Amino acid sequence: MASFVPTSEETLDDLRHYTEDRLVEVACLDCLARVRVKKNSDHQTSVQWTAEARSDCQEFVRRDQRPGGRDVHKPCARLMASIDDAVRAGDVPVGAYDGY
Amino acid sequence: MTETRMLDQGTTPIRFARGWHCLGLASDFADGKPHAVPGFGGKLVVWQDSEGELNALDGYCRHMGGDLTQGEVKGDTIACPFHDWRWGGDGKCKAIPYARRVPLRARTQRYETTVRNGQLLVWHDPEGSAADHDILPPELPDVMTDKYTPWSWHTKEINGSHCRELIDNVADMAHFYYVHFAFPTSFRNIFDGHTATQFMESKGRPDTSGAGYGDENSTLKSVATYYGPAYMINWLEVDYKGFVTEVILINCHIPTGPETFTLQYGISVRKPEGLDDKTCAYIAERYTESFGEGFLQDVAIWENKVAVQNPLLCEEDGPVYQLRRWYEQFYVDVADVKPEMVDRFEFEVDTTKANEYWHAEVAENLAKRASAEASASADA
Repeated sequence: MASFVPTSEETLDDLRHYTEDRLVEVACLDCLARVRVKKNSDHQTSVQWTAEARSDCQEFVRRDQRPGGRDVHKPCARLMASIDDAVRAGDVPVGAYDGY
Repeated sequence: MTETRMLDQGTTPIRFARGWHCLGLASDFADGKPHAVPGFGGKLVVWQDSEGELNALDGYCRHMGGDLTQGEVKGDTIACPFHDWRWGGDGKCKAIPYARRVPLRARTQRYETTVRNGQLLVWHDPEGSAADHDILPPELPDVMTDKYTPWSWHTKEINGSHCRELIDNVADMAHFYYVHFAFPTSFRNIFDGHTATQFMESKGRPDTSGAGYGDENSTLKSVATYYGPAYMINWLEVDYKGFVTEVILINCHIPTGPETFTLQYGISVRKPEGLDDKTCAYIAERYTESFGEGFLQDVAIWENKVAVQNPLLCEEDGPVYQLRRWYEQFYVDVADVKPEMVDRFEFEVDTTKANEYWHAEVAENLAKRASAEASASADA
């Protein structure tokens, strides 16, 4: 059972719009990781990982082995470069639709 | 369908989050006396036993409901003021001085405890699982040594808000301008497993005499990570007129009821080289004051807002829905944690347009102020 329960059906539509709409799959050029990406503008980027992609990312595997690492949180530079490439190739549309 | 957008206030959960919760500085509980800590819809009793271990039990005696926090520490146990039933840190009744034997079922609610970075943490789980030590917040190197000032620790009761309001701040870029009087120039979130992080760089507004984030002479580099639902470590690098200070801010809370929680925050400052302890303590107190004021700025908003389950967002907003999806993992049974609640998610906010508009607004405010001052001095 959900804990914070919406009282309107439209709230679930909103949830879907903000979390799922227009995500485009992008594959890392260096490893097997595949993520879903959305860009609302040139400077905005959303990256949705899966558990599988997270364990495929060699950069994260390396970092996870280090103790107490604060830098585990930082994005993987290789994946970010792959996303930039996909944007340049026109595979990831740039622009928002009504705030999402 | 109506064109008017309605606020969905939703219903707040009847349960409290699973995870580690900080009750305060360990040293504050280490005086051989029972301590009362409101939490999780009731009250906990905390005391130190003869081995130096800190124990936490439900505050009410399972015999006739006496208030253990008003009892006495006897040996390693907490004794109830009503009939002197003695409870051990393992939750078992160890002795009833007037009874032939202790009932076999005399076992109360205990909370597993641990001390991390000088703070007492307890594990709470409505399902009653064993504490998960793998997801404790990390140890902070050098804190609690001579290299850092001692924790300056503060507590504040918050009424009329669910603690999720506090969590929402993690993804809220624009409130730093309006509520905390700073320009957030760079803003990014990463949610991953049981952690949620905000990376922010900000600069104070020159048109406000704001505290904390809002000092115009300060630029801030901030990394703030929630480890579980209720304990955040905020690493701050404050550049004040070229003088850089490393500040560690702990921001944690204990839910006390469906719409109340106790906010606690602590500050430790890396002692700048070449400064004596008195000056370092002074610097730490100034930061404590200013970040304390920052929390008060938030509290003023929380106390007057309503809950909203369906926030309406614009392109410049952070990922509130994804943050709440992450937060939901602590409110469902472990078996019901969905992959999307814990899957890694990264979001970089575009702050370029917002800062353009804000700088224009601030320039206008400064011009207005200058002309008001000019006419005031002309009148004088």
